[in-house]
Order: sequence, then C-alpha cells, then structure tokens
Amino acid sequence: MNDNALPVDFDGFADARKQGFLDIKKLKDAGKKVVGMYCTYTPEEIFIAAGAVPVGICAFSDETIAEAEKVLPRNLCPLIKSSYGFAVTDKCPYLYFADLVVGETTCDGKKKMYELMGEIKNVHVMQLPQSQFDEASQELWYKEVLRLKERVEADFGVTITDEAIKSAIKIKNETRSLLKEFAELSMLNPPPIMGSEQLKLNYGQLFKFDLEEKNKELRQMIDKVKMDYDNGVRNVPENAKRILVTGCPLAGVTEKVVKAIEESGGVVVVYENCIGYKPVALNIDENAEPYRAIADRYLQIGCSVMSPNTNRYDLLTQLCKDFKVDGVVEMVLTACHTYAIETVEIRKLMQSHDVPFISVETDYSTSDTAQLKTRLAAFLEMM
Amino acid sequence: MCWVVGIDSGSTMCKAVLFKNGYIEKLHIEKTGWNPMISAQSALDALFATNELRREDVRVVATGYGRDAITFADKTYTEITCHALGAEFLIPNIGGVIDIGGQDSKVIRLESGKPADFLMNDKCAAGTGRFLTMACDVLGIKLDEVDNFAHPTEASHVTSICTVFAETEIISSLAAQIDRGKILAGVLQSIAQRVHQMTAKIGFDGTKSLLMTGGLARSNMLVTAIAKTTGFDVKTDPNAQFAGAIGACIKEIKNG
Repeated sequence: MNDNALPVDFDGFADARKQGFLDIKKLKDAGKKVVGMYCTYTPEEIFIAAGAVPVGICAFSDETIAEAEKVLPRNLCPLIKSSYGFAVTDKCPYLYFADLVVGETTCDGKKKMYELMGEIKNVHVMQLPQSQFDEASQELWYKEVLRLKERVEADFGVTITDEAIKSAIKIKNETRSLLKEFAELSMLNPPPIMGSEQLKLNYGQLFKFDLEEKNKELRQMIDKVKMDYDNGVRNVPENAKRILVTGCPLAGVTEKVVKAIEESGGVVVVYENCIGYKPVALNIDENAEPYRAIADRYLQIGCSVMSPNTNRYDLLTQLCKDFKVDGVVEMVLTACHTYAIETVEIRKLMQSHDVPFISVETDYSTSDTAQLKTRLAAFLEMM
Repeated sequence: MCWVVGIDSGSTMCKAVLFKNGYIEKLHIEKTGWNPMISAQSALDALFATNELRREDVRVVATGYGRDAITFADKTYTEITCHALGAEFLIPNIGGVIDIGGQDSKVIRLESGKPADFLMNDKCAAGTGRFLTMACDVLGIKLDEVDNFAHPTEASHVTSICTVFAETEIISSLAAQIDRGKILAGVLQSIAQRVHQMTAKIGFDGTKSLLMTGGLARSNMLVTAIAKTTGFDVKTDPNAQFAGAIGACIKEIKNG
C-alpha cells in the first residue's frame, strides 16, 4: 500500500465526500503536506508559510458518534465525540490524509480527547492560556506559536523564512478582509441573502485550498451579490426579523437551528460563531514582528474558554448595533459547559441592550427539530 | 357575526374552543390519539354541530405540537404565544403562565398582556404529565384521583429527577412498605421542584399572580405545592386547560 492510498470504505461514501478525498489526494500526490485543524485559535499562517495545506477537520456530523462512544463518555459534547469518531473511522478525507493534526487546550473535553487521538494520529497540542489580557498569558501563547513553528519545521523538514511567514499573513489577511466584507453585506436592509446561504458559503470556502484562487472567487462573489442587489434582486422579505446567531460552532447538522429561524419569519444576518464573523473580525498586524503579531491576534478571539470572556461581549454588542439586529439566538451544544454557563452573562448583556435573547440547547441528532421550531417560532412571534 | 375556532393539539389531549364576537361560545376536548388531524377534525365538527356552522363561516387557528398537521387551519401559532394570550384573557394582568403538559413543561413571563420570555423543558420527562402518569401507574392510582390519595402533610421524597430512575425508586419505596399517599405527595413535590428551577431562572414579578394551565392544573394539591415551592401566588381557572385554544382565538381576533 502506498502512503496516499484511499481508505477501504471509499466506494461507499457519498459523492461530496469522495470528491473531498480525491481533492486532498491530488495535493498529497503532488508532494504537499496536510495539516488538520479543529479550532479558530490555530495559527494557520505557519502551515501556509511551510508550504503545507491547512484544513478544517470533520466534526459536524453524528455519523461517527456511536463509534466514538465505544471509547469516550456518552455525556460529552457532540463536537468532541464526532471529531474523535472521525479519527477512528477514516471517514474524514482531511483527517485521513493529515500529516499533522493541531489542537489546543481549549475546553476540558477537547484537551483530554486530543490525548486519546494522539495514540492514533500525529497530534500537536498548543497550550492555550485561558486569559487574554495579562502579560504571562500573552507570553505563553507567543512561545506556543514559536513551538508550533518548530514542530512544523521538524516534521516537514523545512525552514520557514521571514519572507514566507509575512506573505502567508498577507494572503490570509486578504481572505479575512474579503470574508468580513461578505458578512457585512447583510448589514443591508433587507440583507441580500438568507442566513442559510451565508453559512453555506462560509463553510464551503474552508475547503478551497488554492488561496489566491479563493480570494479571487470571493471577490467575484461579493461583487455579484452587490450588483444583483443594486439591480433590485431581493432574496429576503423586507419584514423578516434580523437575527444574530451566537454560541458553539455551528455547521452541518446544527444548521437545523438556522432553518428553524428562517422558516419562522426570521433571517440570520450575522453569525458570532467560529464559522462566521468571529474568525474574520481581526487581522494580523503586517508591520509588527510576525510571530508576535500572529500570537497577539489569535489570542484575542472571544471563545467561552476564556475567563472572563469580555471580547465576546464586546463583539456581540458591536454586531447587534452594526447589523441592527431584532434578536439574538444562542446555540449551545449539549454538555458544552463553558458556553452553557456563559449564557447567564450573555442574557444579562442582551437585557441591558434591550435585545430579545433566547438560548437553545441541542446536539447532533435531528430528534429535537420540532421542539427547536416551536421555541424559535415563539421567540420570533414575540417580536 | 365573527366566529373563530382555536384548536390546541397537545401531545395527549386536543382542546378546541369556539369564539363568537370575542366571547367563548363553546368548548370541546378529546384525546389527540395517534393522528392529530383526525382529532382536530372531530373537535371542529363537535363545535360546529350546535350552531350549524360551515367551514367557510369561521376562521380556524391551530396551536400545540400537532399544529402543523392540521392542514385545514387558516393560521398556526406556537403554544407559547397562545398560552400567554389565553392566560391574559382568563385572568387579566396576569404575570405569567406555568404550563405542565403531557410531554413538556414551560413557564412564560408576560409583560403588558403579551409574552416577553419563556423557558421550556422538553428534553426530559421529569416535571411533566408523563412523570405523574408513570408514578400513578406504579402506585395503582387513577390520574383523576391524585388529590384524594396524596398525603396532605407528609411526603416521602423522590430524589431521582430522571423518570426512569424515579420509577425504580418508587418501586423500592413500595417494597419498603411506605404509604402510597406519602410517595404520591413526594412525586408532586418533585414536579414542583422542577417548576421552581424554571420560575427562578425566568425572573417573574413577585407582585403578580401566575396562572397554571395544562392538564395537571386540575390537581389542586399540585397547584398548592407549586405555589409553596416557588413562592408565587399560583392561580388556576376552570378553563385553564383551554388556555392555548383560547389564546389562538385571541391572537386571530387581534390580528384580524
């Protein structure tokens, strides 16, 4: 068996999955290294600068949860179970072909899961501090960024030049700026596209590996949406309630939340989630020392693993204002303690801004679709 | 003449009400059964019979978990909105609603007669009608006779909040020869505790009363236990079970 052979179950996969395997296999056959990532804290510029291909790993489907529960406890966040399940089943093309998997000590569940994943995959775990504003935490994260660089250089037998890291920062900054511009199109009233479309695009772009080509496509897409809107094309009813979605990472099966909102007379205008506005809100300072600039930027992401997580409060406040939202819907995955507890603060914050707020708990099953619909429809009926 | 029918298709019972010029003309209740559409149609026929109404004479509004199955309805609204408006109709200036239904329980806070916030427990049978039905089955007591059987002053605590484990616990208590009435009183307290968790989170105005709706509102002992545990003045109403269906009519009358 050669290194880049397809998994034995390949023929049984759906077409989109097969295409994922074939796309990444092509890159591998061309000699590229693949790095799997799970989290928006991962500084992917380092992989790009090393000539490797960073890719987000499958974590949004219940198909591997049963397999994961043979090892992991049942009462654990579905994202963690799904992630681990993909590692043991060879069902994720990106994880299957990954030369290196990078995780962080974000929540308790993830960091302990990475230990187990390390027994079957080549895993590197970055020590993420749980505070963003003190010097010791900033220094730790900066050192962790340097340690990741060394790991990548050692594993892949390359040296990352200053020029390479600067150019990686530049191209990723451009992507983030484009995605931000795209997201901000929904500041228009009515927004040009439904939230489900916005999410589909945001998710899809994660799997385009030619970065220059991706930036070009994003530019064209933004221009097309703008042009259509200027020509009077309306995809969203004028009276649709403008909803901000926040909380745990949302994609795949949890799109059911978006569907329930948009079937009940709402439109999601912005996602304060890890797939959405949060990872593109900030760019890296191109004039500072590159690794320091990378560390400083990534550490400021407002995830509920941080304590206190004031950056999330600030971003939510700003987005509510900028996108003129009528209400905020938070999605919390079952057994995600940090987000579930932080809900108390977010509810207070929204009350102080006079913005209607609802938090819904869900998992990767579809059994609660009707209940979600009732809650979210009731929330929209109240406005 | 303005006729409106509200149908609240719950998990257990289908409640229907006929409004004539803004007032209740007739009420009807029957088992939801396996098909919410069939029971809703049968409820509609029952309301039509005495007034010799035809479908085109009335506006029909559906709510409850079976609302989307009722294809002949002109409109549907969620049970949250409808329970709130129904409660306000039954007791004006009410502060909120505690609804314990067959498969879920919810609390709704009202402001100026409208729903302002709500919490729902639909993840687990604890604190719902299902929990009480299970307990009554094991204890050999009919649901309608809860108030006759439950011990008025002494309760044997049921500590498990999971319905399945609580069943095991009740069976153990029976084996230990503990009085059925005391166990049942413990079951009612357990439901009251679950309700208390929700009322505490939602932050009701303590100066206002809450209306208890849903089938379990028929047990005065449960209403009393909830009032005592939550610290609120909990009222009930002979038509409380119809609050959702009434609210559906009110919503339609206000909109129309």
